[in-house]
Amino acid sequence: MEAADILRNLFVIAVFPAGLFVLVNGLLYQWADRKVIARLQNRVGPRWFQPFADSLKLLAKEEVVPEGTDPRLFMGLPIVALAGALTAALYLPIAGLAPAYSFPGDLIVTVYMLSLLTLCTGLAGAGTRSRFALVGATRTLTQLFSYEAPFLLAMLGPAVAAGTWQIAEVMDYAGSNLLILVQPVGFVIALIGLMGKLEMPPFDAPEAETEIVAGALTEYSGRGLALFQLGRSVELVCGLTLVAAFYLGGIHNPLDYAIKTVGLLLGLAFLQSLLARLRIDQTVGLWWRYGSLLVLAQWAVMMVTRS
Amino acid sequence: MSDNEHGGSKFTVPIGPQHPALKEPGHFEFGVDGEVVTSATVRLGYAHRGIEKAVETRNWTQNMYLLERICGICSHIHAMAYCLGVEALAEVEVPPRAQAIRVLVAELERIHSHLLWLGVAAHEAGFDTLFMYSWRDRETVMDMLEGLTGNRVNYSANLLGGVKFDLTAELAAEIKRGLAFLEERTQHYLDVVTSDELFLRRTRGVGTMTNEQAELLGVVGPTARASGVNRDIRVIAPYSAYKVFPVTPVVEYAGDLEARFVVRLKELFESYRLCRAVVDNLPPGDITTRFPRRIKAGEVVSRVEAPRGELFYFIRSSGGENPDRVKVRTPTLANMASVISLAVGHQLADIPMLLAGIDPCFSCNDRAVTISGDDDWTWERLRQLGIARYGRPAW
Repeated sequence: MEAADILRNLFVIAVFPAGLFVLVNGLLYQWADRKVIARLQNRVGPRWFQPFADSLKLLAKEEVVPEGTDPRLFMGLPIVALAGALTAALYLPIAGLAPAYSFPGDLIVTVYMLSLLTLCTGLAGAGTRSRFALVGATRTLTQLFSYEAPFLLAMLGPAVAAGTWQIAEVMDYAGSNLLILVQPVGFVIALIGLMGKLEMPPFDAPEAETEIVAGALTEYSGRGLALFQLGRSVELVCGLTLVAAFYLGGIHNPLDYAIKTVGLLLGLAFLQSLLARLRIDQTVGLWWRYGSLLVLAQWAVMMVTRS
Repeated sequence: MSDNEHGGSKFTVPIGPQHPALKEPGHFEFGVDGEVVTSATVRLGYAHRGIEKAVETRNWTQNMYLLERICGICSHIHAMAYCLGVEALAEVEVPPRAQAIRVLVAELERIHSHLLWLGVAAHEAGFDTLFMYSWRDRETVMDMLEGLTGNRVNYSANLLGGVKFDLTAELAAEIKRGLAFLEERTQHYLDVVTSDELFLRRTRGVGTMTNEQAELLGVVGPTARASGVNRDIRVIAPYSAYKVFPVTPVVEYAGDLEARFVVRLKELFESYRLCRAVVDNLPPGDITTRFPRRIKAGEVVSRVEAPRGELFYFIRSSGGENPDRVKVRTPTLANMASVISLAVGHQLADIPMLLAGIDPCFSCNDRAVTISGDDDWTWERLRQLGIARYGRPAW
């Protein structure tokens, strides 16, 4: 009994869903994203194993800790970031199977676990003395504060409609109600908020290479960079799963999962290749002037129609 | 950076000499307050190659090879400016067919340069799709240039007294086919840069330079024409075959980045028209003429309109086989001051766009600088300084 429990927990953390599976899944999705954008931009794009090769190479490389930084913080932050993203995967219906763990209110925990990556990126940038990293960190955190509230509200929309803050129960409700039709604004905000979270164009001002090199992660190399990138891949999977589960009528089986998340990924790739980068002040303006107001308007409608 | 600079306004963001936004080395320091630029300085000269001095040690013909390598993008126009100057000095009349072919290559080069710029500027704005598409289409004009001259970059089309390559009938047909394709694509790009909502947020009303500022800063080329300064050397002082094939200048009045996009894209249409006119009405006759080995003493100023603006050559001969002095002023030098004065008050994110807006070409404009102190730096003084620093040489 005891041993079986420990084994199950180890399996859940190391292999499925929060370990190897979600890492491989994330890297494959990252490849698909890069490939589709490349084809849309008339480029050839990477081969399927490129993200794996990149990660392995980076993991094997020496990690250079720049002068003037706290080495523990510098090395610890990428680990926390990846751990946060992987923890989020525990509460999500990855691959269309039931979440590994579930408790009332796990939605809030998951959404905040997903923010941990951005927070760690910002702290990592602020912890170094590189000026590009500092400007990048400021932008990362500014962006976090602009999309986070609308994104959270968009994620809570289905939860409020379902009357529960437990992901599995919201999904049950979403399975019988196609929420993209009822809450279209929430869906759009959630998807675009995901782009902001993942710093995809047009929200890539925090890492705009023509201005601030690599933004907050400028000083990172080797393992730290690899862990941050893996964290982002995992977050891509988690975010897509969450949006698909809530807005696209739930996720019932692995095939359903693949179709819905890849479909959303394609949508993201199209948007990324269509749009030019926004300045950070424009990003903030966009989210607070339009994003927040729209999602609040939808909440108002929801409240009125519910009562 | 020390700690007291952390929170204050003395936060400096260095761009360059090595930076992803710069395709060539240059150094900029932007003082920022948050995201807003409060001060800007520029330091150039990292790519100084001593070409002007080297020119003095080579003969008139060898210099063509050297001067064409001043710029990797507008190589033809440098050789053309030099040829026009030297031919004026030698009082040689170039056959009309050669002049027309020079203009044809110059306009094809302008097309390739402007399309390249469109891609670079789009990339600076984070619009990589436009970047990739415009560079794909640019291959069309690169192929035309390769078909005409055998080279994609340093075409080496000029000779003193003519050109090396003639235009065949098949090539003329191919060029016209390519131009038709490019015209259609350029119309599309013009639509994109004037209607894409997100892209306009990065260009409309950004980096506005008024007509007065443009005159004051002495900017040239498309940068000036975007601010309503109607100055195009092809129009105000036609040279070579531009006397036969007149140019309609493209002028915009807004002065912002969008206007700089529009001016360059509309200039492309003018170039397409000119290329067609030249191909259709190519004068018959020779493409070269005899040219003397020595050139009698004298000096000449040669001005041409490079893709980036006015290119200025001063050439002096002392009657020998080599030039006595060749001074080159490239348009980037004239435009650089505008970046520094426009940067203040803008967002840091706008800086790469502002810089790309003048279409800078650093290694073209890097020159040796005479440092003026309390007294002149003589050879003897420099020698003494060297001895004081490194010790007396063994010899």
